[in-house]
Amino acid sequence: MRAVSWSVLPSVFPSVSRRLARLAVIPSAAWLIGATPLAHAGDVSQWLARAANAARAQNYVGTIVYQHGGHVESSRLAHIFDNGEEFDRLVSLDGPAREIIRSAGEVRCYYPDARVVRVEPRTIRNVFPSLSVEQQNALAQYYDFRKAETARIAGYDAQAWVFEPKDGLRYGHKFWAENSTGLLLKARVLGERGEIVEQFAFMDITIGGPVDRSLVKPTWPSTPPDWTVREGSAGETSPRDTGWVVTRVPPGFVKIMEGYRRLRGKPDPVAHLVFSDGLVAVSVFVQPVTSAPTHVGFSQQGGVNVYSLRLDDNLVTALGEVPGSTVRQIASSVEHH
Amino acid sequence: MNEQISRLMDGDADEPDLERVCRACGDGEAMDTWVCYHVIGDVLRGSGTLSRGFATRFATALDGEPTILAPQPRLTHRLGVTWAIAATVAAVAVVGWTAVSLTDAPTTALAKAREAADVHAAQLRSQSVPPDYLLAHQEYSPATAMQGVGPYLRAVSVPAGDAQR
Repeated sequence: MRAVSWSVLPSVFPSVSRRLARLAVIPSAAWLIGATPLAHAGDVSQWLARAANAARAQNYVGTIVYQHGGHVESSRLAHIFDNGEEFDRLVSLDGPAREIIRSAGEVRCYYPDARVVRVEPRTIRNVFPSLSVEQQNALAQYYDFRKAETARIAGYDAQAWVFEPKDGLRYGHKFWAENSTGLLLKARVLGERGEIVEQFAFMDITIGGPVDRSLVKPTWPSTPPDWTVREGSAGETSPRDTGWVVTRVPPGFVKIMEGYRRLRGKPDPVAHLVFSDGLVAVSVFVQPVTSAPTHVGFSQQGGVNVYSLRLDDNLVTALGEVPGSTVRQIASSVEHH
Repeated sequence: MNEQISRLMDGDADEPDLERVCRACGDGEAMDTWVCYHVIGDVLRGSGTLSRGFATRFATALDGEPTILAPQPRLTHRLGVTWAIAATVAAVAVVGWTAVSLTDAPTTALAKAREAADVHAAQLRSQSVPPDYLLAHQEYSPATAMQGVGPYLRAVSVPAGDAQR
């Protein structure tokens, strides 16, 4: 619900509006009351950088639970930081077997039931801690960043922090950071009514200390015989002006990448633009299509919303960790210049 | 006017837009559009609906409420009392606002909303998130930097059939 909505009421429902007018200054009940606002853009980016640095430079092994739309999935996660390189392995413990291996150059996803391995080249490795000044300002302008309660998660003492959006274009976020390292032990995405859209949380975790290399080794050979390999071509994203523009970029979002990438099974390169407000990102893909695309409209995967539409001979898709109306606004305002 | 109403709902309206919409809402047509857009938005977001005429009944009942005169609360209790009142007013207002936007909508608005809901539901059934796009996006998302490899679970959290796409 937007604050601006209230201001329309006086001329329409005078009797109700007198009471409603007082609400403009009261934060939504869904948000924590009594939290302390943190004033400076610099504080936010320092906090983000600490979390990002911990996620990258700590060794940790644990069980992570992913909740979205009534689904709960648990996975085993191992992360090693060695000689400036990161190695990860994520193995699902329930549902269909899935395994994700992340190393310096690529991300490999194994789907043993489908006998498919999907390979995505890793093109960049750090969004943080190099937030642009623009992004830092956007963060402070479009979110209230607050320290919330302390909690104990997976045996560690943690501090909760809240990013409360100031408009309806963004989700709310709550993070629980381990006290001594800043590693995020729990991350929650909140909708405009305070409902949980998505949550990642460690059930158990060991932070620091040496981690056995075998824990980040894939269960399967890199390309198992008679499996299908779905590989984004070896070529990385080539940064360039694609000629595609988004005319109604939501306030606070800036373009952080533009280029072409080759996606598996697609004969033509796909234009890829990324916009970020410093906390979340929205990708725009423009892909030439010859026949009528079957996938248009909304879809959702946890905290990620997707909106696709046909634009002449192209399929335009906007996808990101923002509400459906935001990806629709972005996809609907894509034009070619 | 429809575009200005739409901008206002998206939070993109500037000051002149706001004034124009407020003035225009005095007449029936702009108000119908305003209500219709909210009904469509509510339906797309899956918000609940209330019985027809609830807003009118609610406004009448609220007007009929006596004004309660109470002594000034002691300073030590003020904060708690204020928040309690705030919470109550907030709860009532949320219900009131939902009612205003839903129940007095013209028949055409409800029909449009139902149509939108049907289309929305059909779309949700007929597709899932393209894993290629999700994987390509994940690397650029600040969430990946902050949470490590965990958010990649979104990309693989799909039925086996979709892995073949």
